[in-house]
Amino acid sequence: MTRRLAAALCGTLALLAVPVRLAGQFSFHGRGTIGRAEHRVLDAGASVVSSGTLLGGALGFVGGEWEVWAEVMGGRLAAADSPAMEDREIAEVALLASVRVRPWLRLRGGPWVRSYFNTLARQRWTMLRFGAEARVPLAVESVRVVLRGDWMPIANVSGLQRPEIAFAAGVGLEWRRKRIGVSTLYTLERYDFPANAGGRRLEEFAALQIRTSVRWR
Amino acid sequence: MAVALLLLLPVAAAGQSNTADLLDRAARHHADLDVERELVILRRVISPNSPFVVTHEQRVLAYKYLGAALVVLGHADSGIVYFRAALERDPFVDLEPQRFTPAELAAFGQAKRLTFGLGVRAIAFDTIDPRTERIDFTVLSTHAAELRVELRAAGEAAGTLLYIGHNDGPRELQWNGLLGDGRLAGSGRYALVVTGFSRLTERADSVQLYFTIQQDHATLDDTLPALRPDELLPEQHPPGIARAELFKGIGVATAAMLIPPVLANGELRGGGRTLAVGIAGTATIAGVVGFVYRRRHREIPANVAANAQRRAERATINAAIAARNRERLDQRRLIIAPAAGVGP
Repeated sequence: MTRRLAAALCGTLALLAVPVRLAGQFSFHGRGTIGRAEHRVLDAGASVVSSGTLLGGALGFVGGEWEVWAEVMGGRLAAADSPAMEDREIAEVALLASVRVRPWLRLRGGPWVRSYFNTLARQRWTMLRFGAEARVPLAVESVRVVLRGDWMPIANVSGLQRPEIAFAAGVGLEWRRKRIGVSTLYTLERYDFPANAGGRRLEEFAALQIRTSVRWR
Repeated sequence: MAVALLLLLPVAAAGQSNTADLLDRAARHHADLDVERELVILRRVISPNSPFVVTHEQRVLAYKYLGAALVVLGHADSGIVYFRAALERDPFVDLEPQRFTPAELAAFGQAKRLTFGLGVRAIAFDTIDPRTERIDFTVLSTHAAELRVELRAAGEAAGTLLYIGHNDGPRELQWNGLLGDGRLAGSGRYALVVTGFSRLTERADSVQLYFTIQQDHATLDDTLPALRPDELLPEQHPPGIARAELFKGIGVATAAMLIPPVLANGELRGGGRTLAVGIAGTATIAGVVGFVYRRRHREIPANVAANAQRRAERATINAAIAARNRERLDQRRLIIAPAAGVGP
């Protein structure tokens, strides 16, 4: 499975690199992210809610109609209602490519790996996500509304069956000038796993992020 | 009728040539001092019963020779009367010193002193470049007079003064084509007005010469017309844009608030509602700010700049066209032609 994912990653990267090189004009971007996340799990009738602060960063290549972003993010999630539970760390890496199909609409997709871990265990999520992102200008030309929807057709979770439902939705605002940009984004991810032994595992990951981006070429 | 007209034409032509022949014969008799025969011929010419057509110029010539012949016969006073008759009809008439005796010249001078008349020589068709050439006028007073020569557009009371002062005899005047305001005379009809007051007889006289001026220059280019509204981009958002911005912000806020209850799994009772409120508040504020901003700033800066660019390009082209036209106008020439009266 890991080999197949690696091969898919390389193939995706190779395909994405071609249009960027052909486009001729490209630019490099960096992005820092700080956010508040909330993770809810319902399994076998027990509900665990944990939350924490996330920090992350990303590097992007923009060429013509194409964008490729490599993102990392991590943080600590604490279960406030269950003090006995040990805090968990979260770390994720994503590679997302997008193409502009309309001045206001981009199609995007790419692999995404997320890990929840503590001293006792580690759970890895490996996903491939596809979606669309709309950016609609507001009154001031450099401010735009961001609406986002993603579907994860491939989602492998270590120790669990594949979720039956896996999607994400987001809405936010973005202010961008020539070199810098600031955006705030609310996202919700929903994962419904198939029923197993009378119980059904449900997971939800919501986050409110503030992101600052810089273009330096 | 037509036949009769055809037959009369050669008779009229022959009449003219007969008068010319008579005047030639009279001049020859005058040169031979055969003034008796000369007088007979000249009296036939000026007689109302003359069977021949006598032109104005021929009549003036006849009076001139009659005056001279009478002076030769010793009738100087009568000669002077005929000289004056010639001068009254044509102030430019003169006696050539090599063909007439001093007595005749003296009598003619006396006639000029007694007769006050002003004259302007007829203008010929001509084309001049006003930068380098001039229009020549010849005016005349039969004896010493105060003279005023003025150029006026037809029908105007005032004009450009070409000469004012003492004059005796013919005077050549040149005009550079400029009016009193320093501008080149435009196409139209003009009059050269000559007025004078005799110093000897204390009589006044005036004469006018009409002519037309046509400015001749290369065809001028038309400037670009003003930009039509459909050639310009809208420089302002429609009035409803402010409300639209508010609705966008509220729409985003609504979308954020709807995500948890609609997309999240109800069993989890979560969906990050608190987080969604955060983005909803931000979006609402953005909508309100957008509403206020658009109420105050409906202009579209990019379109304003694009329109200004188009206007500037048009102005540049028009300035170039105007410069080319000015060059062509600077090289214009004046076509002068005689005219009859103030207007058609």
